[in-house]
Amino acid sequence: MKQSRTKKQLALLILGACLSAAVTPAFSADPAPTLTYSWPTNAGPLDPRGYSPNQMYAQAMVYEPLVRYTAQGTLEPWLATHWTVSPDGKTYTFTLRDGVKFSDGSPFNAAAAKANLDAVLANSKRHQWMELVSTLERVEAPDEHTLVLQLKHPYYPTLMELAQVRPLRFAAPDAKPGTPVGTGPWVLTQTRRGEYDRFDRNEHYWGAQPAYGSVVVKVISDPDSRAIALQTGELDLIQGAEGEISPGTFVRLRDSGFKAAISAPLATRTVAMNTGLAPTNELAVRQAINQAVDKDTIIAKVLHGLEPRADALFASNMPYANLGLKALPYDPQHARQRLDEAGWKLPPGKTIRVKDGEPLSIELVFLGTSALQKSLAEIIQGQLANVGIAVKLRAEEDGALVQRQREGRFGMIFADTWGAPYDPHSFVSSMRYAGHADYMAQRGLPMKDAIDHKIAEVFAQTDETQRAEGYREILSTLHDQAVYLPISHLTAISVSGKNVDNVQFGSTLFDVPFEVMRPATGKP
Amino acid sequence: MLRYIVLRLVLLIPVLLGVSLIVFVLLHLGNGDPALDYLRLSQIPPTDAALAEARHALGLDRPLPEQYFTWLWNAVHLDFGVSYITGRPVLEDLLYYLPATLQLGGLALLVTLLMSIPLGLAAARWKGRWPDQVVRFITFIGVSMPNFWLAFLLIALLSLWLGWLPPMGRGGPEHLIMPVLAIALMSMSINARLLRASLLDVRQHRHVFYARARGLNERQVWRDHILRNAWMPLVTATGMHIGELLGGALVIETIFAWPGVGRFAVSAVLNRDFPVMQCFTLLLTTLLVLCNLVVDICYAWLDPRTRLSGVMA
Repeated sequence: MKQSRTKKQLALLILGACLSAAVTPAFSADPAPTLTYSWPTNAGPLDPRGYSPNQMYAQAMVYEPLVRYTAQGTLEPWLATHWTVSPDGKTYTFTLRDGVKFSDGSPFNAAAAKANLDAVLANSKRHQWMELVSTLERVEAPDEHTLVLQLKHPYYPTLMELAQVRPLRFAAPDAKPGTPVGTGPWVLTQTRRGEYDRFDRNEHYWGAQPAYGSVVVKVISDPDSRAIALQTGELDLIQGAEGEISPGTFVRLRDSGFKAAISAPLATRTVAMNTGLAPTNELAVRQAINQAVDKDTIIAKVLHGLEPRADALFASNMPYANLGLKALPYDPQHARQRLDEAGWKLPPGKTIRVKDGEPLSIELVFLGTSALQKSLAEIIQGQLANVGIAVKLRAEEDGALVQRQREGRFGMIFADTWGAPYDPHSFVSSMRYAGHADYMAQRGLPMKDAIDHKIAEVFAQTDETQRAEGYREILSTLHDQAVYLPISHLTAISVSGKNVDNVQFGSTLFDVPFEVMRPATGKP
Repeated sequence: MLRYIVLRLVLLIPVLLGVSLIVFVLLHLGNGDPALDYLRLSQIPPTDAALAEARHALGLDRPLPEQYFTWLWNAVHLDFGVSYITGRPVLEDLLYYLPATLQLGGLALLVTLLMSIPLGLAAARWKGRWPDQVVRFITFIGVSMPNFWLAFLLIALLSLWLGWLPPMGRGGPEHLIMPVLAIALMSMSINARLLRASLLDVRQHRHVFYARARGLNERQVWRDHILRNAWMPLVTATGMHIGELLGGALVIETIFAWPGVGRFAVSAVLNRDFPVMQCFTLLLTTLLVLCNLVVDICYAWLDPRTRLSGVMA
């Protein structure tokens, strides 16, 4: 009896083997499908601690952080499953995920993690822009799965900065120099300069295996060529937050049947006003500007309705930014009245207001190579002329624009926030330093010293409630002082063919979650 | 002849020196700072400290004359520095991308010559009749239309609408058709018009009249007496078209995502990658000077009069 059962099982097994052998070729004829995407340049050598030419989207595919930033502005466990912070805020203890391997099969453990962070500290000058790097005193690996970060002084955004794409992610310490070996879902397997990069699934990945077998990223620098490539099927997906295609093209592709989506706010498109320079040094002028600009029209006409209106410097989905701040409503009549009360009178028969013989004239600096900023600047110019403010437009190149921001040579200037995961902490932190648009914009405020002091306090604050209160004070003050003219929230766009399913957005400006995307069923 | 070639090659040295100095000065006179571009591409907030660090890493914190002479000294040893953006040796990158551009430019030159000569001949042979009208219409369009616009029209027609040709990338011969056409059409049109004008001009010359008077048949008159003399402007023009074709490649490569030196140079310009821009201008200068030299030699070979007037001295 027993024997016959074994025989039966054996027979079944053989039958199964034959069947699967018969069926397998059909499957292997349809290998794991490939997703094609594009990027303006090659991915680069993918050094986990390298900057340009290493592309962040690619580093994020190959290397993983201890904790991951979510679209809600919170953090979730990733390579660390659990962590504790000492009461003095100076010691962070992480429990590392068990069973994680690098793509070459070597284990990810505390020693490997420490080796990576030590490499950052050894080259700290290069990474000093990240405050955590200059705050980190030493890294310890007391056992296989415990990693301890010892800080010089309490620094609350420690976890936020650990979540960033570089330089605090992890590569296999024993990997051959120049070969990118990480723990992420993808492995860079081929690079053809100027043509494409190919990423294959990491067979050792600890999480769910991606549905796509590989991602091929073609090098396409021209936005129109990129749109054509999608239309002709050379690409499956266009996604990103860096002007991958123009808003007009996005709308055209959406209307012609492609799947299109817009992400949650990732950053804010603002115009900073110089409080250290007349006439924007007057609160009434800044408030009048905020009331005289019709953001809804701008969004509808120039941005094709793709970006939600911004009422405050940071979107409410950013950490500590859900403060319910209300923008001054669009009301040109009230703006005129405000200017009248502040002494800026419109001489009879004239179109520009005057006070003490000085015309109400402001220089607006914009990026001359950006057709979008030019349109925005022209609309703002027209709308402010409507209330008697003359705006002189000044086009600058990329580098020259940053130079003007740093030196405070502007009346108004386009200055986007840095976006998730830098907003709000890195952005707010930089407000304290000369050489930043925001410092330059704010320097004329009577309470500038108090703001800077408060910022320093927030960063060393270990109590969560107190910290939130500190942010409320800083952001409300800047809001009430109308230092910024927030226009809209920058979003990432995504357009894909019908053959891709479950297209999602990354939680920052820099990542594209290819691992969750799936080929549409019924079509390879 | 050999002495002449050597002399011309020696003269290349001061030309290159002058070009390198002018480019260097122009780059540094311009607004903006490559260190800021580097930080922007690296997504590093441009703090004072980060900027100082980047300037130091890129060698931009040294005095300008020192920067130039260091660069020059290295360049003489064929070391053109490291790209600010890719981090690789500039010359290596440029030589990597050059063959793709030469393929595109070379084919465009071939197409220019192969199409312009029959068109020019036909237009002159049947002046005022329908072949002339057709050629004049085509070349009028060709001379007037910017190459990038033609490129988009071709893509719209042949890729988007008809689906016959791939819209981008480098691969088989089908990838070459549209970019080559887009680059070549203008030079082809100019050449065809030039040849037509030149043929019509030579046709009026007295030696043609005498050739006919000697009783030569029309074929011999055209082949030996009109065509041979009408070639000359075409040779000069072809020399100039090489520069035009390479310039056209800059734009066309970006549109067709062609992995050539032109697209690489365009992104270098956008990102203020000074070492790449310097090396690229020198490379193009050398290429153009060499092409002009070849043209001059051809000229001397084709037209004995130029030989007598001192070129061969």
